[in-house]
Amino acid sequence: MSVETDDGHGHGDSHHLPAVEDWPKGFGEASWWPFIAALGGGGFYVGAALFILGRGTEPMLNPMIGPLVFVLSTVAFLTGLYGWLYHAFIVDFWEGEADSYGFPLKLTMLLFLGTEVATFGGGFVYYFFVRAGAWENLPAIVTEGEVLSTLVIANTLVLIASSVTMHYAHHALLKGDRKRFVRLLGTTFGLGLVFLAGQVYEYYEFIFHYGFGITDGAYGTAFYGLTGLHGLHVALGAVLLAIVFVRALYGHYSPEKHVSISTVSMYWHFVDVVWVFLVVVLYAGAIV
Amino acid sequence: MPPEQLALTALVGGLFVLAFGFVASVKNWRTRLPFVGGKRLATDGGHAHGGSHAHKPSGIVRWLTTVDHKDIGILYGTYGVIAFLWGGVAVLIMRIELFTAASTYISPNMYNALLTSHGITMLFLFGTPIIAAFANYFVPLLIGADDMAFPRINAIAFWLLPPGALLIWAGFFTIPLDLAIGPAETSWTMYTPLSVEQVNPGVDLMLLGLHLTGVSATMGAINFIATIFTERGDDVSWANLDIFSWTILTQSGIILFAFPLLGSALIMLLLDRNFGTTFFAVEGGGPILWQHLFWFFGHPEVYILVLPMMGLVSWILPKFAGRKLFGFKFVVYSTLAIGVLSFGVWAHHMFGSGIDPRIRASFMATSLAIAIPSAVKTFNWITTLWNGNVRLTTPMLFCIGFISNFVLGGITGVFLASVPVNYLLHETYYVVGHFHYVVMGMIAFAGFGAIYYWFPIVTGRMYNRTLAKAHFWLSMIGVNITFFAMLLAGYFEMPRRYATYEFNPSLAPLAEITLLHQAMTVGALIITVGTVLWLVNIVWSWKKGGEVTDPDPWDTKEYGLHGREFAWFEQQLAATDGGETEIDGEVATDGGETLGDE
Repeated sequence: MSVETDDGHGHGDSHHLPAVEDWPKGFGEASWWPFIAALGGGGFYVGAALFILGRGTEPMLNPMIGPLVFVLSTVAFLTGLYGWLYHAFIVDFWEGEADSYGFPLKLTMLLFLGTEVATFGGGFVYYFFVRAGAWENLPAIVTEGEVLSTLVIANTLVLIASSVTMHYAHHALLKGDRKRFVRLLGTTFGLGLVFLAGQVYEYYEFIFHYGFGITDGAYGTAFYGLTGLHGLHVALGAVLLAIVFVRALYGHYSPEKHVSISTVSMYWHFVDVVWVFLVVVLYAGAIV
Repeated sequence: MPPEQLALTALVGGLFVLAFGFVASVKNWRTRLPFVGGKRLATDGGHAHGGSHAHKPSGIVRWLTTVDHKDIGILYGTYGVIAFLWGGVAVLIMRIELFTAASTYISPNMYNALLTSHGITMLFLFGTPIIAAFANYFVPLLIGADDMAFPRINAIAFWLLPPGALLIWAGFFTIPLDLAIGPAETSWTMYTPLSVEQVNPGVDLMLLGLHLTGVSATMGAINFIATIFTERGDDVSWANLDIFSWTILTQSGIILFAFPLLGSALIMLLLDRNFGTTFFAVEGGGPILWQHLFWFFGHPEVYILVLPMMGLVSWILPKFAGRKLFGFKFVVYSTLAIGVLSFGVWAHHMFGSGIDPRIRASFMATSLAIAIPSAVKTFNWITTLWNGNVRLTTPMLFCIGFISNFVLGGITGVFLASVPVNYLLHETYYVVGHFHYVVMGMIAFAGFGAIYYWFPIVTGRMYNRTLAKAHFWLSMIGVNITFFAMLLAGYFEMPRRYATYEFNPSLAPLAEITLLHQAMTVGALIITVGTVLWLVNIVWSWKKGGEVTDPDPWDTKEYGLHGREFAWFEQQLAATDGGETEIDGEVATDGGETLGDE
C-alpha cells in the first residue's frame, strides 16, 4: 500500500486546516477520500473472503462474487486514493510548501520500508528454516542447477540498471536538466516493466516447461512465495513510477520541489536491494 | 440449531444495538438529519467546547468524513469499547460455564470459539484501538501539534478497523444462517497444525480480518512516529517531550516490526490452508516455525499494549501525588529498554516445545532481564508517591491499582521466565492468571483511569464520582479474586483452555479446583457489575453530567503540574465562553469541580 502520503501542512494561521480542498467542499476538517479508500481497502479483504467461500467442491456461493467484490473494491480504493493524493499534492503543487514538508514524507517512506523488512522477513525466515533443515524433495530445477538461469541474471541486471537510471533522473532534476530527468524517469519505468515481463516469462517457463509450481515441495512454496511477494512490490513500484512520470510530463517537479521523486526513488532502490538479496539466497543459495 | 447458540446470537445482536445506540445518543446525531453533508453547522455538533466551528459537516457525515485527530480518537474509543463489551460477554459466558465441572450450558466447541474470540477481540480489537484512541486525541495536544502528521491516513487507518472486526467475528454472525461457516476454534495463538487443518472457513475470515487490522495498526504507528518527530511545537524538544508521547513513540516503533511480520505469517497460514503450500507443514517450515513467527510478533504485542498504559500512569499519577514524576529520564530509558528487549524474549513462550536447550537458556536470561526496566518503573512510581500530597481521585485509584496489579502480574512473570518453573506451570491456569493481571489489572485499569482523567476535556462534563469509585473498588476486588484464584488453580495444575474439568478424582484435588473455579466466576461477575457501572456512568455523564467550567478541574496548577492538554482545554473554554466564567463548586473530594446536578 502506498505510503506516499498527504500533505495537510501549513496554511499559515495558528490552527491550520488539513483538508481545505477535499470534497465535501468548504469545511477544512472533512474529507470523503479516506472513507472511500478504506471502503475499497476493506473490500479487498471481503472480496478475498468471498473468494475463499466460493472455492472447493461444494462452494457456498458463486465463485465469481469474490472477484467481483474485489474489482469493485479496487475502483473504490483507487478513487479514494486519487482524490486524496490529488487534493493533498496536485491541486496546490506549486503554492504548497512541499519542500519544507519533505522531511516528514521521507521519514514516513523510511518507516514504511522498515515495515517491509519485517514483511519480507517472514518469508525469508521460512526459506532459511527449509534451507538449513532437511532440504529434501527438491525439484529438478534445483537438483540440475537450472534455477539460476540466464533469464534471471539478465532480469537482475535490468532491475539494477533501473536503479541507476532512477538515481541519475533525480540527479538531473536537481541540476535543472529537465529533459534528461523526464527521459531517465521514463527509462526507469520502462525497465521496471521489462523486469515484470521477465518475471512473468520465468513463471511461465517454470510452470509449463519444467512443471515446477507453488505446491511442489518446500522449495516451491519458498520460491513462489518470495518472488511473488517481491513481484507485487515491483508492480506497486511501477505504479508509483507511472504516477510521477505522468506528473513530470505535465510539468511537475523542479530542483526545489522533488519530494515524491525522492520517496519513490527510496522505494525503488529498496525493492532492488531486496531482489539482489533474493537472487543470492533463493536462486544461487539453492544450488550451492 | 442448539438453543444456546441462538441465545448467544441474540445476545451479541443486542450488544451491538446497545453500543450503536450509545454512540448515536451521546454524539447528538439525532438532532440533525443525517446525510446533509453540504450544510454548515454553527456549533460543533454537540461537542460542548468545540474550538473549530463550521470546519465540519453536520450529522453522521461529520463522523464519516472527519480528519480531525480528536474526532478520530473518539471513533477509535467507541470502537474499542464495543469490542471490550463483546470480549467481556464472551468470557462471562465461559466463566458461567466453568462454574460447574461438567459441560452445562454451552458445547465445548462453543467454549473454544468464545475462548478464541475473547483473546483476539481483547488484544486486537480492544487493546490496540483503545490506545490509538488516547494517542489520537492527546498526543497532538501534548506535543503542541495542530493535528497528526497525516490526517487522512489517520482516518483511513480507523476505517479499516470495522470491516476487520466484521471478518473476525463473521463466524458468530453466520450461526443463525445455518451455513457451513462457524466461529474459529484456534485459540488466539492460531497454532499450526490445528489452525491449518480446521476446515471451517470461519478461520480464513478471521485471518483476513486480523491482517486488515494489522495494516491499520501499522499505518497508525507510522503516523504517530512521523507526528512526534516532525509536528512538535516550537517549545517541545526531545528533552521535555511528555512521558505518554515517549511511550507511544516506543510502542509505534515496536508495531513497525511486529505487525508486518504477523501479517506475513497470517498470509502464509492462509496459503497453507487454501493453496496447498508447505509453510507450516512438516515437510516445510514445520509447526515450530509458526510458533517462532507468531511469538516474534506476539511477545512485542504485550509491550505494544502495556507501554502506552505505563505512559498514561506515569502521566496521571504525579498529578495526584503533587510531585513531578520521579526519575523521569529513567522512566524513559526503561521504556526504550523494554522496547528493544521485547524482540529478544519470544521463545520463552516455547520452552515446552522441544527447542534447543541452549536457546531456552538464552531466552530465559533475556526474559529475566526485562524485570529490571519494569522494576525501574515500579520504583519510580512508588517514589513519586513518597512524601507526596496524595489525592485519591478515581484516576489516581486506578493508577495505584495498576501498580499493585503490576507487582503481582510482573513477579509471576519472573517465575514463569525460569525454565524449570515454566515446565511445571506453563500449561496451567497460572499463566492465565499472570497475563490477566497484566492485561486486565494493568492495561484496562490504566485505560479506565485515563478515561476518567480526560473525561472533562473530551466531553466538557464531569463523571459521577460515587459510581466511579464503586467501579474502581468492584474492579480491584473482582480482578484480585478472579486472577489470584487462577494463580492458585495453576499450583494445583489445573490445565488452561479446557472447557470442562471432570478429572479423575484420584489424580486431581477436585474439591479445591471446583472451589477456585467458582471463586473465579464470582470475581468475574463482580468485575462485570463494576464495568456496567462504568458504562452507565460514562453514557449518562456524557449527556447529563455537570458541565466543567474550571479549566483546571484536577487542581494541578498549584503543584506546577498543569499539563499541556489542560492548557489547550483552557483556551477552548475561553474561546467558547468569551471569558472567565469559572464558578467554584464545592471542594470536591475527587478534585473535580463541577456545576449542576452531579
